[in-house]
Amino acid sequence: MSDATQTELANANPLPVRARVWNRFAGIFWLSPTGAIGLFIILFFALLAIFSAWLIPHDPIAAYTDKVLHPPSAEFWFGTDGNGMDVFSRVIYGAKFGFGIAIPAVILSLVIGIPVGLIAGYRGGLLDEVLMRFVDGLRVFPSIILALAVVAATGQSLLNVILVLGFLDSPVFARVVRAEVLGLRSSNFVESAVAAGNPTWRILFVHLLPNAIQGAMAQTAVRAAWAVRISATLAFLGVGIQAPTPEWGAMIRQGAEYMVSGQWWVALYPGLALILLVFGLNLFGDGLQDLMDPRRRSAK
Amino acid sequence: MTFQRFLLRRALMVIPLMIGVVFITFMLVRIGGLDPVGRLAGPTATQAEFDSIRNNLGLDQPLWKQFSIYLGNVVRGDLGESWLSNRSVLTDIKERAVISLELLFWGVGIGALVGVPVGLRAAFRPNGRFDQFTRVLSLFGFSIPTYWLALVMIFVFFYLLGWSPPAIGRMSLLVTPPDMITGSYLIDGVLTARWDAAQSAASQLILPVICLAIVSAAPIIKQTRAIAIEVLSSDTVRYAHACGLPERNVRKLVLRNSAVPILTYIGTEVTGLVGTMSLIEYVFAWGGLGQYGLNAIISGDFTAVQGYVLVLAVFSVLVFIVIDFVVYLIEPRSELS
Amino acid sequence: MTLLKVEDLHTHFISRDLDNQICIAKALNGVSFSLEAGRVLGIVGETGAGKSLTAQSIVGLLRPPAKIVAGSVRFEGRELTDMPDAELNRIRGNNIAMVVQNPRTSLDPLTRVGDQLVRLHQIHSGGPKTASHKRALEMMEAVGLPDPESRAKSWPHELSGGMAQRVLLAMALMNSPKLLIADEPTTGLDVTVQAQILDLLRSLVARFDMATLIITHDLGVVAHFCNDIAVMFGGSIVETGSVRDVFAAPAHPYTRDLIAATPERFQMGRAKALGGQPPDLYNLPSGCVLQSRCAYATELCQTTVRNAEVAEGHFALCHYAGRLEEQPAVKINA
Repeated sequence: MSDATQTELANANPLPVRARVWNRFAGIFWLSPTGAIGLFIILFFALLAIFSAWLIPHDPIAAYTDKVLHPPSAEFWFGTDGNGMDVFSRVIYGAKFGFGIAIPAVILSLVIGIPVGLIAGYRGGLLDEVLMRFVDGLRVFPSIILALAVVAATGQSLLNVILVLGFLDSPVFARVVRAEVLGLRSSNFVESAVAAGNPTWRILFVHLLPNAIQGAMAQTAVRAAWAVRISATLAFLGVGIQAPTPEWGAMIRQGAEYMVSGQWWVALYPGLALILLVFGLNLFGDGLQDLMDPRRRSAK
Repeated sequence: MTFQRFLLRRALMVIPLMIGVVFITFMLVRIGGLDPVGRLAGPTATQAEFDSIRNNLGLDQPLWKQFSIYLGNVVRGDLGESWLSNRSVLTDIKERAVISLELLFWGVGIGALVGVPVGLRAAFRPNGRFDQFTRVLSLFGFSIPTYWLALVMIFVFFYLLGWSPPAIGRMSLLVTPPDMITGSYLIDGVLTARWDAAQSAASQLILPVICLAIVSAAPIIKQTRAIAIEVLSSDTVRYAHACGLPERNVRKLVLRNSAVPILTYIGTEVTGLVGTMSLIEYVFAWGGLGQYGLNAIISGDFTAVQGYVLVLAVFSVLVFIVIDFVVYLIEPRSELS
Repeated sequence: MTLLKVEDLHTHFISRDLDNQICIAKALNGVSFSLEAGRVLGIVGETGAGKSLTAQSIVGLLRPPAKIVAGSVRFEGRELTDMPDAELNRIRGNNIAMVVQNPRTSLDPLTRVGDQLVRLHQIHSGGPKTASHKRALEMMEAVGLPDPESRAKSWPHELSGGMAQRVLLAMALMNSPKLLIADEPTTGLDVTVQAQILDLLRSLVARFDMATLIITHDLGVVAHFCNDIAVMFGGSIVETGSVRDVFAAPAHPYTRDLIAATPERFQMGRAKALGGQPPDLYNLPSGCVLQSRCAYATELCQTTVRNAEVAEGHFALCHYAGRLEEQPAVKINA
């Protein structure tokens, strides 16, 4: 049936907007229930991060020196740490760091990776070769070692952690976009755009970009999960963010020594929060990839 | 192509990679903020002391000269001295490599033994209950911070239950290590019939190995499933069904045809897991190469960092060569290239 | 007795879209035909007409989301559509053999050709291995593979496309099937090789006395090769009959267009190109599936069509079957 008749049908029997939104939501939920759950988890943490000022009962870096290492109680829901700081407030406040690192890092990776992938895929040749060899070379090293070495070597600040993670992860997006562009390069619409005399930048960013970006977009949530995880690991190793900053990795580092003496709450709660956020991002990312890949979708 | 020629070719291909790796780590370390001089000299050092340390370490030379000296030393098998321990980096690494390999072998081995069958079973019924369950589980595995898992396991199994020994390394302090043969306390204990040592080594190994196995199984499950689903939708399997091959034979077919990509994946996974393993070593005070590398990076011991990174690169390349060779043995289409 | 009888077969693709609406692509809509022992039936039609899907539905090789929703397939009187897989497996590759489109990727890449033939024979016919091996060599000989002894030791990737297709034919013959289904057996081969394979197929069909179902988009294959023809369009068989009758007097407008569009006609300068989109399987029009691109369509065509017998054994799914010329002039696609 032609598009025109379909539009006619839709006009003849219009659904109220609310029902349409609800249907779309239910459809996504049906197709990827786990992805929807992931989205809920992410939203939950986003709310914690945004409204942390109203949610926390204590100042996250106020030390109650007379109440060091108190177990969870009515006053301190998750207990207090070795400095006498309230673990509950610190865990909630830590959500800010999760998003504050992951979002700019992923945006930076996209900003670097997408143009590089576009140009490498479209132009090919030496640039492409160099890029691919570089990416292969990076794969020899575990990402945590690489991130650790670069952060340790270039300076330990929050900003630097974001820059390093964003930069190190950009090849992931470059690869995805490059692969898409390679497939699209000889397609009719690109060749006709070239024949019509469009300048290269226009072909790249107007014609190729919208068609090549989907795979990269499907990756963003998973890469954000990676950024949250690696930044916390760096903090756990004492690199980048330092205690007593209420960042989850740094808090786990503080609590590590107490694990063998029974004060489990110092390290347990920030770890749980970290797992849950990363898990949510991974679930959502997995669902995204499902929804964007018709082959995976039709398997249901 | 014969195996010797394959090895030769591979070795030739490795050389530029190695030079690149040495160059990049060298530059990173020198240009970056890692400066051992301040640390070595101490807070009260005078300018003259600074300069003499610089001179001793050769840091007053121009960069290119430092690099060529270093490269020359590497070729001769001299990785320099660790500035923290004042020992030869090569000796340090040699001592620790086996320790880490042992952990990696058990961890990834068990991870693969669990992950591959689970992934295959999930693939045979995509979106079935088992698949949904393992998929969420493996995503969860992706999300657990290794070091936190290690800490929680120490808390549960050492502090709460008292089942496992304290996380103080590879052997109980009360047991004398066996004579050195391979470097692995477990194997050496068995070889020299020192059963107490072997037992202590084994009980120390359990927690870190389980930790590593859990973390490595997650991506193996996911990837195995993806590979097997790809094979299941291939022409080969379609045709096998059309020929009326019984389900059992079809599964065998899928298994055989998935083996090569799964193996290749595990190979790439091993090098990535070195990071995870390092964190586990760090928490368990394991004293292997991973912990050595982490400490070297954190404390800015850059001869050690360079040596460590170089060894990692060599290790990855060796793993790929081994995988290539195994693939060559089971895959009639492949040629060693 | 009729060897294969397909009746009113409906196969749909059922899935859900992003808006949680159930989408149904009606890929097969009441396909019926029968095949007697020793006959060769050719199914022709354009891409997406449902030819291969018909074959897959017959032997139970559908994969989700494709599903048989109604109809029956009887092979030697046994119903195949609700037969459990284990039982179907005893028929597939044994009584019903298939030759598929991509021979090189379809063979098991990790098993030598000869071992695959032997394995297939062992699974279905059993008996001593040496007998299977002997049979494998005979069949390789029969399909014209030179030097079967050494060919049996080849790996699939060492074969050319034509040789791989011969191996597939040998595989099909291993268990002396009663029905051979060849799904686009020559697509993707060189033209000269295509002719060789077709000749071989023809001689094998005669020699082994198999009923054969050939799926192709090439009318020439049907004309030279088949006793009967079934023309498919939009998931329905729009015309069926003996090759002679249908080619001499095509009763359905689509068949006419198809015959008019063969390359031979193009060369004679009398062809007209086959135009138009295939029907949208998600939104099939009521009535005739061809109505939007049929030059003869009238309002009557929007009502349910029944198979009309234009001559003995020659049916067409058209309101105006057999009287296209005398049709009234109120056409909707004028």
